[in-house]
Amino acid sequence: MNALAEFSARTRVLVQGASGRMGRRHTQLMRDYGTHIVAGTSLREAGGNIDGIPLFADCAAAVHATGASASICMVPPLETRAAVEEAVAAGINLVVTIAEGVPVHDALHLRRLTQQHNVTWIGASTPGIALPGQAKLGFLPNVALAPGPVALLTKSGTLSYEVGYRLVQLGLGQSLWLGVGGDAVKGTRFAELLPLMAQHGPTEAVVLIGEVGGTEEEEFAAALAARPIGKPVLCLLAGREAKEGVAMGHAGALTYGGAGTLASKTTALEAAGAEVFASTAALVARCAGLFGKRA
Amino acid sequence: MLLVEADGKALLRQYGISVPEGQVVRDAAWTAPAAARVVKAQVTVGGRGKAGGVALCRDATETQAALARILGSSIKGHAVHACLVEAPATGRECYLSILLDAGAGAVRVTFIAEGGVEVESHTLDASTSRLCAPDEASINAALAALTDDAAVREVGTKLATLFLREELMLAEINPLFVGPAGAVAGDAKLVLDGNALHRQPGQEALLRGNATLYPDALRKLDEGFDYVELDPKGSIGLITTGAGLSMMLVDELTARGARPINFLDIRTGQLRGSPARLIRVLEWLSEHPSLRVLFVNIFAGITDQREFAKLLAEALAAQPCGGVPVVARLVGNGSEEARAWLAEARPDIAIFEDLEPSIARVAEHAL
Repeated sequence: MNALAEFSARTRVLVQGASGRMGRRHTQLMRDYGTHIVAGTSLREAGGNIDGIPLFADCAAAVHATGASASICMVPPLETRAAVEEAVAAGINLVVTIAEGVPVHDALHLRRLTQQHNVTWIGASTPGIALPGQAKLGFLPNVALAPGPVALLTKSGTLSYEVGYRLVQLGLGQSLWLGVGGDAVKGTRFAELLPLMAQHGPTEAVVLIGEVGGTEEEEFAAALAARPIGKPVLCLLAGREAKEGVAMGHAGALTYGGAGTLASKTTALEAAGAEVFASTAALVARCAGLFGKRA
Repeated sequence: MLLVEADGKALLRQYGISVPEGQVVRDAAWTAPAAARVVKAQVTVGGRGKAGGVALCRDATETQAALARILGSSIKGHAVHACLVEAPATGRECYLSILLDAGAGAVRVTFIAEGGVEVESHTLDASTSRLCAPDEASINAALAALTDDAAVREVGTKLATLFLREELMLAEINPLFVGPAGAVAGDAKLVLDGNALHRQPGQEALLRGNATLYPDALRKLDEGFDYVELDPKGSIGLITTGAGLSMMLVDELTARGARPINFLDIRTGQLRGSPARLIRVLEWLSEHPSLRVLFVNIFAGITDQREFAKLLAEALAAQPCGGVPVVARLVGNGSEEARAWLAEARPDIAIFEDLEPSIARVAEHAL
């Protein structure tokens, strides 16, 4: 998690797949927000540039020429595995991948690869990470971003936008916003963020947005119970009415045989001292109350 | 997604694993054989036995009675269109599974020599379950540490090949009948990775061969977005984007006693200037006579709401769903202008900036 703790507006960032439709647009949006983008990769346009950002044929060339240490990967899902392998081989230590629909066996391979090389991987599918007011990797919407005391850790993009936006309307911004994504196998899991949350100075409270499926919330609860962070943890869980046996939009939001239900997650989180809410309004009101804001 | 047992067994057979003789029956008037049979509902959900979806039948009369009872019934909200009718297998009942353990970031191999169906009551330890790397040699080594039984190890080797080549999330055989003649898979619980379907053409063919059983998965494959039917008799049609926010809306509406027909993650970023995707969804919703209100909720991080509002108006003009009331909550990029434009173009639509009052309005229409 060191690469994550050190991420800032000074971090030198490479955009993989910078010349595609998505890549081009988000390269500009991220740079406008303050992200220090130093390079892009593009097979078709290597040697060229996007608004002065030089494009290279591959990660190794880009890292060699610019000293990039972080990568935001804007390639399609079936190309994500090769792209992350390339970034790891080039010495990148923080990789964020945004593609929805990365096959789970690819993700398993990448999880093991990035761990072996001590690379922090956020994804497979994430809206990204942000240090509000400084820099972002991904496409978290500016309308919901503002500096403040709340760390927002989330599986879902849109539900976190809703929560972040409503908190910002009440004058409560974020210390860090991190989308772990909705995949079953992923680069960084909720529980792995706890040590960072404990030591993160700007963070005064943690809002965790989880959902049905998998065991990530339960793992987070076990880690929190074993090592409390001394900061309030508020949780919003979606998917009470999810249909068993069907992935609800997120590949990881799949229940079968009673595993991964909201009841199991709620029980574990509450036992660990976290507060769990069943509606956005209730979570927002409680969070506002913690900081003396009126919902 | 979970394959129904008959399709799971077709895959097992393809990889050389023995399964009992059986056939899929869709018609209760089917002529049953005189010998004993097991009748099992073919639904994409676990826990069939406890929900009344499995019957052990001694003769043709019992088999036909079981078919008449199970076909057309509903198991945990899944309609039963087909039953698998099989010759009962015999032998020691074991449990064998290969699981992609997301939490551990590894493959988990589990073998329990007895106990069969009641596997939930077992506590797994190193004598029954091992984690390993996702390759055939590691999976075989893990299984070898759990059992000496040659028949089980042979099935395990084939199951490992299947698990890796087919990119499964879970391959479970419970019970695995082990007898003098070898090992036979009494059941098959295979969970596919929907994200790998694009490079698994055999799986796609399997799903299409049984299209009524996998409507949600095939819809996603064909349309490129997620629409899941939750309650065909619900009263709210959801036009929403984002999986988490859409799930939360379903939860909050349901908590108020209002029932959404569907879950939807339409992915506004992929509309690319065409109302076609919206029209498709409206067409599906219009097929439900119970539809009483359409609820549009779009939080646009990047998508331009002005463009979305125009596409919404076009889609509603093409498919008005019988003129049911529409509640639209638009927030985010360009939403102020979008709301003003929509208010002028469609004064009948109730337009909101905030979520809570829009939910309240939808509930008023739905209840």
